[in-house]
Amino acid sequence: MIKSRYLVLAHFWTAFILFLAALLLGEWQMLLRSPLHAWVDIPEHYYRSVTGHGTVMAYVFPMLIAMGFGYAIVELSLKQPLIGLKWAWGAFAVAVAGALMAAAAVASGAATVLYTFYPPLIGSPFYYIGIVLVVVGSWIWVSLMAVNLRAWRRHHPGEPVPLAMYANVAGAYLWAWTAVGAALEILLQILPVALGFKSTIDAGLARVLFSWTLHAIVYFWLMPAYIAFYVIVPRAIGGRLYSDVMARLAFALFLVFAMPIGVHHLFADPEVGSGFKFVHAVFTAMVVIPTLLTVFTICASVEIAARLRGGRGVLGWLTALPWRNPAMLGLTFSFVMLGLGGAGGLINMSYQMDSTIHNTQWVTGHFHLIFGGAVVIMYFIIAYDLWPNLTLKPLAQCRLIGLQLWLWFIGIVVMTLPWHLAGLLGMPRRMAYFDFSNPALASQAWTVNAAVLGGALLLASGVLFVVILARAHFNPRSALAPYRFSAAVHAAARVPKALNGYALWVCLMIALTLTNYAIPIALLLRANTGVPPVFYFNR
Amino acid sequence: MTHAPPAKVGLLGVLTVILVAGGAFLLGFYGLPRAAGGGSVWQRLCRAAGIVSASADSERAAALPGLTTVVIPHDAMTTGTADQIGHGATLALRCTGCHGAQGESGADAPNLAGQYPEVIYKQLLDYQRGARVGAVMGAMAATLSAEDMLNLAHYYAYLPRLEHDHPLSSAPVLVRVGDPMRGIAPCASCHGSNDGKVGAPALDGEPKVYLEHQLTAFADGARHNDANAIMRGEARQMTAAEIALVTAHYASR
Repeated sequence: MIKSRYLVLAHFWTAFILFLAALLLGEWQMLLRSPLHAWVDIPEHYYRSVTGHGTVMAYVFPMLIAMGFGYAIVELSLKQPLIGLKWAWGAFAVAVAGALMAAAAVASGAATVLYTFYPPLIGSPFYYIGIVLVVVGSWIWVSLMAVNLRAWRRHHPGEPVPLAMYANVAGAYLWAWTAVGAALEILLQILPVALGFKSTIDAGLARVLFSWTLHAIVYFWLMPAYIAFYVIVPRAIGGRLYSDVMARLAFALFLVFAMPIGVHHLFADPEVGSGFKFVHAVFTAMVVIPTLLTVFTICASVEIAARLRGGRGVLGWLTALPWRNPAMLGLTFSFVMLGLGGAGGLINMSYQMDSTIHNTQWVTGHFHLIFGGAVVIMYFIIAYDLWPNLTLKPLAQCRLIGLQLWLWFIGIVVMTLPWHLAGLLGMPRRMAYFDFSNPALASQAWTVNAAVLGGALLLASGVLFVVILARAHFNPRSALAPYRFSAAVHAAARVPKALNGYALWVCLMIALTLTNYAIPIALLLRANTGVPPVFYFNR
Repeated sequence: MTHAPPAKVGLLGVLTVILVAGGAFLLGFYGLPRAAGGGSVWQRLCRAAGIVSASADSERAAALPGLTTVVIPHDAMTTGTADQIGHGATLALRCTGCHGAQGESGADAPNLAGQYPEVIYKQLLDYQRGARVGAVMGAMAATLSAEDMLNLAHYYAYLPRLEHDHPLSSAPVLVRVGDPMRGIAPCASCHGSNDGKVGAPALDGEPKVYLEHQLTAFADGARHNDANAIMRGEARQMTAAEIALVTAHYASR
């Protein structure tokens, strides 16, 4: 049982309700852009919706999941009550207040700047202050994770930190440093202009600072999913984790290589030198290493589970797997989508190939496939897996859960693969509408219709997900087996010092941020090329 | 069961990172620029780092005379003080002949009452510097100081604009949604109703003759003081009928 279960439940429920609302916005956007519906009369309404959808899905939803999951991990893996419970509730309150403030600014039409801000667009200061509050809440969470780990270490000197907590804190540290870029952009560049203290803004510098956050945040979204791969799935399917040390190494490498790579989002930006673009492309490629380590370790763990269940032969063991088990199903879907999305990602990060798909619908397809698909489906698995321990009630709706996961997988594939194709054909992203009566575009209309269909499946799956979780609250209480994370095949009595702490990896992360970002930022500061802002609210 | 993992993971990690970073920087700043050629090693390195020489920019600017060079100051985007508005009102006495006693023209010159201050300021400076050409306005602006222009702008911004009560939904398609296939952005996305951009004038209630004349002048390049040729790009794509339609919309009250 989780002592601070109400805290975790509050995070999860808030996250999932906001998620459902954002899902609804997303489907409305798809419908609006498709030939099934008349053009949107006021494109601002479309972009307002995109801003709300993006802000919730990119910031609020994953942050609340990571925070709630993090608190649960502290208790479940360290076997100690959460230190700083009041602080945690405070952080939750700050984050929710920030999310509501930002949502109000967006809903009133005063902050239609999309979640990536796009200076010189300037929205209402309430929007940015709301986002800052969400980040402040998450930083309190980061500190709590560090404090709880330190307390545990004091009582367990020299012992290996449990893998779940090691990975969790790696994610927290990654986020703490990742958020600095966007925080600098908001606090030093955007807010002074939004509040009227400054009259120009350097869009190039803002984009470089945002890129600092923009790609590493993706790995922050990914972290709970990866943690679930390692510490939930092998146990849930009746197997063991292939290697505890390999898992730690993957998380440590994510800390190092997830960070100094954001300039690959700026391949088309003239203010960054080509040398740095190349260096960032190389480091983006390095993320392949922890990703492939994970794929290998998890596949090996799954094979162990299959052989423990009596699987035989080179590939025959595949039939022995519990395919109806939600964790197995979720993992499979997640890996398929991760594979497709990862292959697309290799194109995005290649300096030359990117030019074919830069700013096209391909990119939208890519991140919906990776985040909306591979990552969010694992968020579902985390919720399903923790739910009995959070509600103290069983969650025995295996068939509905299976249906929900299938719907999500099919929905994502039906929505995002045609988007990739549309992007290759040159369809730009961030468009409120297309004129499909034009013969040059008519042949692409089906891709948008497919997105409407995929979106409908996703919406149905999202509703089903919330219904399944809600219904569990009304089940009678039942005795629970104590919760445990996956055990490794070889229990780690001791692990290398470097993989039991973070000092080295955090130092490397900061050092690489300096080598890869210091000169571009310094050059832009020196160039001082500010432009007048474009206000999106009544000044 | 326990096992002993390699102890030198940290050292291995550091070496890998140094190797990857070293290789990437060497290729990105020496190898690839060298293959691309041009300039000395130092020049190629600077280019790869994103250092551009300022002289190239100023040479380009000098080669294109008659374009706007106005940088809008912060002062021109705020509400004027009473002193500024008062001084502006005095100066505006010589504008009334065309622009009307209350900034509402009866002579098909633009109505200036309630116009954004930075818009008026920019046009005055452009007239003075020759980026915008007009026999009357060129002469009127010639002797104004920058402060005069700012105060005039604040005065006209201070005057109340006549209300425009057409909902956007009844506006012509070009105003609402533009025509993306011809690269025409919706007028409303810069000129109000839907959204406003700094430097874009409010057009509601302006004289039809004036608006039509300006769009035509943008289309044939006679007027060229729009930053980045934004308006020339839009107007060139529009037919005479479309120009008549959108100007009639903005001129109607």
